[in-house]
Amino acid sequence: MRYWEDMRVGETADLGSCAITEAEILAFARKYDPQPFHTDLEAARRSIYGGLIASGWHTCALMMRLSVDAARRDEAATTGSPGLDSCRWLKPVRPGDVLSARTEVLETWPSRTKPIGFVRRRSEMVNQQGEVVLRVIGITMYRRRPAAAA
Amino acid sequence: MKYFEDVQVGDVMRFGRYEVTREEIVEYARQFDPQPFHLDEETARASMFGGLIASGWHTGAMFIRMVVEHMTPGHATSGAMGFDDLKWIRPVRPGDVLSVESEIREKIESRSRPDRGTVKIESRISNQRGEVVMSLVSLVIYLRR
Repeated sequence: MRYWEDMRVGETADLGSCAITEAEILAFARKYDPQPFHTDLEAARRSIYGGLIASGWHTCALMMRLSVDAARRDEAATTGSPGLDSCRWLKPVRPGDVLSARTEVLETWPSRTKPIGFVRRRSEMVNQQGEVVLRVIGITMYRRRPAAAA
Repeated sequence: MKYFEDVQVGDVMRFGRYEVTREEIVEYARQFDPQPFHLDEETARASMFGGLIASGWHTGAMFIRMVVEHMTPGHATSGAMGFDDLKWIRPVRPGDVLSVESEIREKIESRSRPDRGTVKIESRISNQRGEVVMSLVSLVIYLRR
């Protein structure tokens, strides 16, 4: 189990990758973000994006999935998040893109009131051309190492 | 249609009504955030949240649905660059009914693209008891007249 105490500033990790299909882009957008450039190929062609692009909230969701799967492989004692400092959708995500996630620990500090600690990290999604499409700076909570196991 | 020129700092908009169901919480979590406290009532009850809660990213998705349904139709927006200062303040649970209050905070003209500008909009998402469950400051792209 990796607890808050095991997190090191500057530590980086690859979180794996996933592909995104046109069908997935359309399904997510029809349910949650039905703007024409996410749901309608013809309207998307005429938009400032020049073609169908994924909802930014969809790209975030895919990065969350990669993070959760990586935390499970890593046996990380994560316990949710209080929020994010920033999120930037830097480049459009298009059907057929393959996105890889990576993360770096920027800062760690303990909770003064609970047996948890906080980790601020920068996480990015990179497409198959090596372009960063999403950059998030967010905070993750980790459980503290139990005293008996220290 | 409200263009970049038409929105004013201080403008407030209230909109949306989103009923959160157990089925949708679990469905979203299975696909994107399969942590035990988003998937299973029994495990969630033993967690620090004391019961099943929605993924924070799911709350974000429900927020954007309300925005696209009620706000963007009357506004000349063309997506967003992202957001700042997102806070997941309280858990969102099955049966909650969410709504949005948004306030225009700042207008930034684009130096490189004269056809558009960025508008910073602070939004608070509240439940049926008026408790704020999530807040964020979106950087929305508005087209100019």
